[in-house]
Amino acid sequence: MKRMNYYINGIGIISPQRTFNNDEFLSEVAQYDDNHLNCVTPEFKEYINPIQLRRLSRMLRAGLSAAVISVRDSKINAPDGIITGTGYGFLTDTGKFLTEIYDYKEKQLTPTFFMQSTYNALAGLVALTFKCKGYNNTYVNKGFAFETSLHDAMMQLEKKASQTLLVGGYDERDDAQYRIHLRSLYYKTKPINNLHLFEHKTVGTLQGEAAAFFAVSDEASDQTWCRLVDLKMTFLPESKESLFINLTRFLSANGVSVNDIDFFVNGMSGDVKNDALLESLAQDELKNIAEVRFKHLCGEYCTASSFGLWLAASILKKQQIPAIVRFNQINAQSPIKTVLIINQYMGRNYSFVLLKSAH
Amino acid sequence: MSQRVFVTGYGIITSIGNGAKQNFQSLINRKTGYGQLEILETVHRNEIPGCEIKYTDQQLAELAGVDVAEGFTRTALLGVIAAREAITMAGLTNEVLNTAAILSATTTGGIRELEKYYYELQDQSKHGEFDSFVDTGNPGEHTERISELFGIKGYVGTVSTACSSSANTIMMGADLIKNGTVDVAICGGAEALSKFTLNGFNTLLILDREQCRPFDKTRTGLNLGEGAAYLVLESEDGVKRSGKKIIAEVLGYGNTNDAFHQTASSPDGAGALQAMQTALDAGNVSPSKISYVNAHGTATENNDLSEGLALEKLFAGTVPPFSSTKPYTGHTLAAAGGIEAVFCMMAFQNNVIFPSINFTQQMDELTISPQKDLMQNVSLRYILSNSFGFGGNASSLLFASVDQ
Repeated sequence: MKRMNYYINGIGIISPQRTFNNDEFLSEVAQYDDNHLNCVTPEFKEYINPIQLRRLSRMLRAGLSAAVISVRDSKINAPDGIITGTGYGFLTDTGKFLTEIYDYKEKQLTPTFFMQSTYNALAGLVALTFKCKGYNNTYVNKGFAFETSLHDAMMQLEKKASQTLLVGGYDERDDAQYRIHLRSLYYKTKPINNLHLFEHKTVGTLQGEAAAFFAVSDEASDQTWCRLVDLKMTFLPESKESLFINLTRFLSANGVSVNDIDFFVNGMSGDVKNDALLESLAQDELKNIAEVRFKHLCGEYCTASSFGLWLAASILKKQQIPAIVRFNQINAQSPIKTVLIINQYMGRNYSFVLLKSAH
Repeated sequence: MSQRVFVTGYGIITSIGNGAKQNFQSLINRKTGYGQLEILETVHRNEIPGCEIKYTDQQLAELAGVDVAEGFTRTALLGVIAAREAITMAGLTNEVLNTAAILSATTTGGIRELEKYYYELQDQSKHGEFDSFVDTGNPGEHTERISELFGIKGYVGTVSTACSSSANTIMMGADLIKNGTVDVAICGGAEALSKFTLNGFNTLLILDREQCRPFDKTRTGLNLGEGAAYLVLESEDGVKRSGKKIIAEVLGYGNTNDAFHQTASSPDGAGALQAMQTALDAGNVSPSKISYVNAHGTATENNDLSEGLALEKLFAGTVPPFSSTKPYTGHTLAAAGGIEAVFCMMAFQNNVIFPSINFTQQMDELTISPQKDLMQNVSLRYILSNSFGFGGNASSLLFASVDQ
């Protein structure tokens, strides 16, 4: 990849924590005791006109609001293109349409549930809202969905500079999916408190959800949160050693060594089985680096790395690491300049994202 | 320097055939896949026809060389069959596959299996053949299956932009090659018929009970289809090294959104026009050089009007031959862009333009009409292939023949 600079110039995120107001930074922490974490939502009417609002599902409301917040935060009028990523899309409306197919024997069904269940419904809605006729794409590959979107944005900026692309990640929590995925022990079978996620050392994780949007440009602005240096995905690494080799290659390709990292964001999900590689990395190769975790705050979902990106960008912008996300005793050097996010999903999709402070 | 991107192989399965040969024969013999649904279990069987692949899941699994009990959805099975043909045609070794990209598109993934087992899967006390289909509701699942089966580990991505999805995988594959992320990308899509989509499109009142009639005055909607297709894209350097035969070049592409309506295209075809124009600009080709347009041509009132007007505007009076192959395969949604890109490759290789069948009456709003008869011995230099979808997504691909 060519070496262009990419900047995150605006963020909007609606998650199980109170994250929709960019002036706050985890000053209150929401707790959950039933293994699923729901979005803490703002007054949607501050972002969506009332006629439109009535027609939209809960997650489309959250998604569109997050997009509007990110655009306002970036102080641009409208984005030049929109790329979204999601693992499972709009599960509630998908479930409603499936249920109608069963219950009404395929007769007299509600078209809205079908229309609002398509994976690109949010990217289309955001385009419609901002009258954005430019590039528009949606990626849906499980734990790579958000990363691919971010990577595509970088490639689009390489092709055409002086643009701002809106990159979003969203996934919706759903009861039917919770029940289905309990079969494969993907979620924890006993209820726990989310803030104690990493103490249990059992299989399964917590079900989360969120919608996050990032205004990504090749030009910095007064609003810049941080610089997005590069990212890389690894599917099914054979071992921790091969994952670490990939990591060091990724870092050196960007002129960075492990010792340059001021803190790393660890995308462990609290599932003792799927976390094995990242836990081992944290205890071994990365043990001298300040460690931050986030899935106890947002739960696990395919695009949870977007919450990790928000967290890392916030720390870089505010130069402050909240105690609730710190997971070892090492203090990050001040000023905080270089951040690595390592995420895993299902122990299959691994990604690295490298960030630097804006200036 | 940006790499040029070439097509070196493809694979396809649709209702008009398993593999390149059968599909080509059907296209030149005007043979369609339209008929009564016999495999999909739906109450609409006697009422809504479609373009169904007449193999059961078990038969598809045998063709794919996998065990259906391992949880291969119908979408994944179709994908495996088409991907295997593409890999074989391009002669990709295991070593090449290990660093290649697999980019696949789908609108519903394994929703056909999810809808079959939706209640059983939610009941922890029940067990049965559905146990292995626990994650079928995920659209990326089929891509990861293909990745694991063939050892394609360089890049794994799935696109879902409704009916333009697999055209977008070809764009992304070309971008990944141009910027050096990978040397080889296998791009396309897979889509099985499901009750979910059949009923979804039925509620939108855009399913024709008769054979669909693209760009015809009497058109009333589309026929749904199923299938999968993949193209193997390779970098200029890679092709030079291997001396492999090139089928065509991916010269340009455009992806836009017409930001008009949640499910409909703007009636004046603004999005379609902009997508085609962007593709031509990217390839530095003027409209007058285009030899043929493989239209999206779904035969819905909305699409054909908007696409037709966009064609008239872009080509200003001299519209090249254009046709829609949707009456043959049905609208295969996310797979359509890949399937039609494969048809464009066949057109280049055989110097033919496939006819648009079922056209009889001129649309009042247009002065142009699709190519009705098979054209043979035509010299094809540049082909545009269009794919438009829900959410305002509009994509256009520009392919060029290559002198070798």
